[in-house]
Amino acid sequence: MNHLTRIAAGLAPLFGLLLLWQLASASGVFPPQVLVPPSEVGATLAQLWRNGELWDHLGTSLFRLVFGFLAGAAIGLAFGTAIALSRLLEALFAPLFQAVRQVPVLAFIPMLVLLLGIEERFKIVVVAVAVFFPVALAAFDGVRGIPKSYFEVARLYRTPALPFVTRILLPAAIPPVLTGLRLGLTRGWLVLVACELLAADSGIGQMMEMGRQMFRIDVVLAGVFVSGLVGFFLDRSVKLVERRFVRWKEA
Amino acid sequence: MTLHTRIEPPPAAADAPATGALTVSGLSKDFRIDGAALSVLDRIDLDIRAGEFVSIVGASGCGKSTLLRLIAGLDTDYAGEIRLDGKRIAGTSLDRGLIFQDHRLFPWLTLEENVGLALLNTDIPKAQRARIVAEHIALVNLSGFEKAYPHQLSGGMAQRAAIARALVTEPKLLLLDEPLGALDALTRVHVQHELQRIWRTHRSTMIMVTHDVEEAVFLGDRVVVMDARPGRIRRIVDIDLPHPRDRSSPVLHRLRDEILAELTGPPPENLVHLPVREVRV
Amino acid sequence: MARLNTPVARILLGLIVPVLILFWWQAQSAQGGARALAFVPLQEVGATLVAQLASGFLLNDALATLSRAVTGLVLGGLAGTALGVAMAMSRPLDRVVGPLYHAVRQVPLLGWLPLIGLWVGNGDEAKLLIVSLAAFYPTVLNSYEGVRTVEQRYVEVARLFGFSAGQRFVHVLLPAALPLILTGVAQALAFAWIATIGTEMLFGANAGLGATMGVAQAQQRMDIILVAILAAASLGFTLHYSIASLRRHLLRWQPVIH
Repeated sequence: MNHLTRIAAGLAPLFGLLLLWQLASASGVFPPQVLVPPSEVGATLAQLWRNGELWDHLGTSLFRLVFGFLAGAAIGLAFGTAIALSRLLEALFAPLFQAVRQVPVLAFIPMLVLLLGIEERFKIVVVAVAVFFPVALAAFDGVRGIPKSYFEVARLYRTPALPFVTRILLPAAIPPVLTGLRLGLTRGWLVLVACELLAADSGIGQMMEMGRQMFRIDVVLAGVFVSGLVGFFLDRSVKLVERRFVRWKEA
Repeated sequence: MTLHTRIEPPPAAADAPATGALTVSGLSKDFRIDGAALSVLDRIDLDIRAGEFVSIVGASGCGKSTLLRLIAGLDTDYAGEIRLDGKRIAGTSLDRGLIFQDHRLFPWLTLEENVGLALLNTDIPKAQRARIVAEHIALVNLSGFEKAYPHQLSGGMAQRAAIARALVTEPKLLLLDEPLGALDALTRVHVQHELQRIWRTHRSTMIMVTHDVEEAVFLGDRVVVMDARPGRIRRIVDIDLPHPRDRSSPVLHRLRDEILAELTGPPPENLVHLPVREVRV
Repeated sequence: MARLNTPVARILLGLIVPVLILFWWQAQSAQGGARALAFVPLQEVGATLVAQLASGFLLNDALATLSRAVTGLVLGGLAGTALGVAMAMSRPLDRVVGPLYHAVRQVPLLGWLPLIGLWVGNGDEAKLLIVSLAAFYPTVLNSYEGVRTVEQRYVEVARLFGFSAGQRFVHVLLPAALPLILTGVAQALAFAWIATIGTEMLFGANAGLGATMGVAQAQQRMDIILVAILAAASLGFTLHYSIASLRRHLLRWQPVIH
């Protein structure tokens, strides 16, 4: 099967489901509370798009995601690399890291709310924490995974620090780090939506929660669709970057 | 079908069982690659007596492994006939066992569980199974390792375990596809001796594919030399030497050199498809 | 640097940073005012811990959360394994259900909460549904992979010994797929744990660590929150460790890779 046929084959069951769904709600068996036809969801989406609400919510969520991701990824990379390179730092920080890792990030939300309030700062911190752990782990694995021989050769040729890092260390560590970044990004999105459900006044998650409280299932479903779409695109885009790097590496 | 007598001292030749004779007539097989048909085996004719040990040698790509898989029944797409004791074969059967180059023991079972699992579809009563399993493990000299997992066994041991598993169902015919190919030279010699001992004890018919001509000559009553592309039998060499074989025998070495020369030299000009041409020592 | 490697040294070093953090926390709480609300003095946290244990609240919460998580894990895990195995063995099923599964998986797990809330309310069934869903995703994926990557070599051996399709399934496919299936279970546990706490937080509950944390946040009781976090961490760790031990036992036939 060529590429286009495969995409079509993949989308066919989804369209089938949509069709089934449309027919089911049109049949009137389900009350509007429970099931709302996809056409209505589409109409709601279009309306939210037109009056700008969708963009407000989406924009706010993405803003939080991006900043939280940048912060968490930067700290995670630095931390992971540091404890991979220094046995002392590892001994000092790794146990605490492993212990805190056991707690789901969600469990920290009430605590962080009390510490930081429910402003933007709080949500960005939550995302950063969610992103931090997988990225730090991946950086650690990536740097630790670099064969010792690379270090030895560098020392032999007296490679100075910066070129060593940029020309040898980074390229070797990049593939696992990219995977960690992808994981961090999806986890950050997951935690952000949850966070917005629980404690926010704007954002996709909050839009869904409001929809629930107002019994507007079309709004909820619109939110589900949008959050899924965003998650899909985030995942896909990093995968594309990963693939490009893998190809480069094999060259 | 009666159960054979077990680990006794080698029976006299007159005791040879009457079952396990294989007849292959006009066997041909094509592989389809990109629409074009590639002939892998071309009108193979073979007559193997019950209780014989036959070695098959040939260059890579001459279809030796394919031949074994067809006889074993793993592949049922071919032209021609394969008969075991006169009956046409259809698919796999406990009458025909096959040992691969990789031992293929199930990693999640112990040695005795692996051997025992082969008895799943036999009608041997449960009470006897443990004893039969133990006997066959002893046959391949692996007593004491019953509870070991495959990853704990060395290559040679694992292959012997695979042999035990294949023999536990008392197949009339045992096929061996480069069974010692993955072993190092020293282990290979050791297991060759074991294989010969087991064969002399058990007397099932055995057909072994190998790329090691010395091994083929050492173990086989006859050696089938095959050509490649398409796979055909070039000739069949009788190894008329008594068992147990003496590895240092000059006759053995001469036969080996002859076959090697045949394999590495140009094909004979008068290659007419004859079923068998024998060479007397 | 050789001294770093003794177990005692490692433990001591590992404690330095946590202890420093505790000191910093205590210092913050001493500053009074708004700080004292958030940075509850450690002795108060300790007292709350004792009180919660004594009154049985903590145990109640812990058990409630634990039972939700485990029940959801079992339900979602079994369903997920069944579906994953079925999809791996049936191409048509794979073609139809596969895309649906991947589409649904894109939605952040807790994003389903409002929808489920509208459909099933926010009682225990709703929570169980979400937790089962959380456990469902990774088990489908891993058991699918597990069955698909069963090596043909073993299937051939089964054929040689005349195994029926059912026998092949029980004696070859399942054991060979077990490592990946168990990986899926471990992941499912982690997800189920997160989902349980998150759902309890959003929907509230009579008992449960997440519910308690949510209430404590509204009442601005940081000490209760910290105690609950501690309990959640220990429970989570214990569960994770138990599954890991079970996995080691079931997979004891695997060669050890160092």
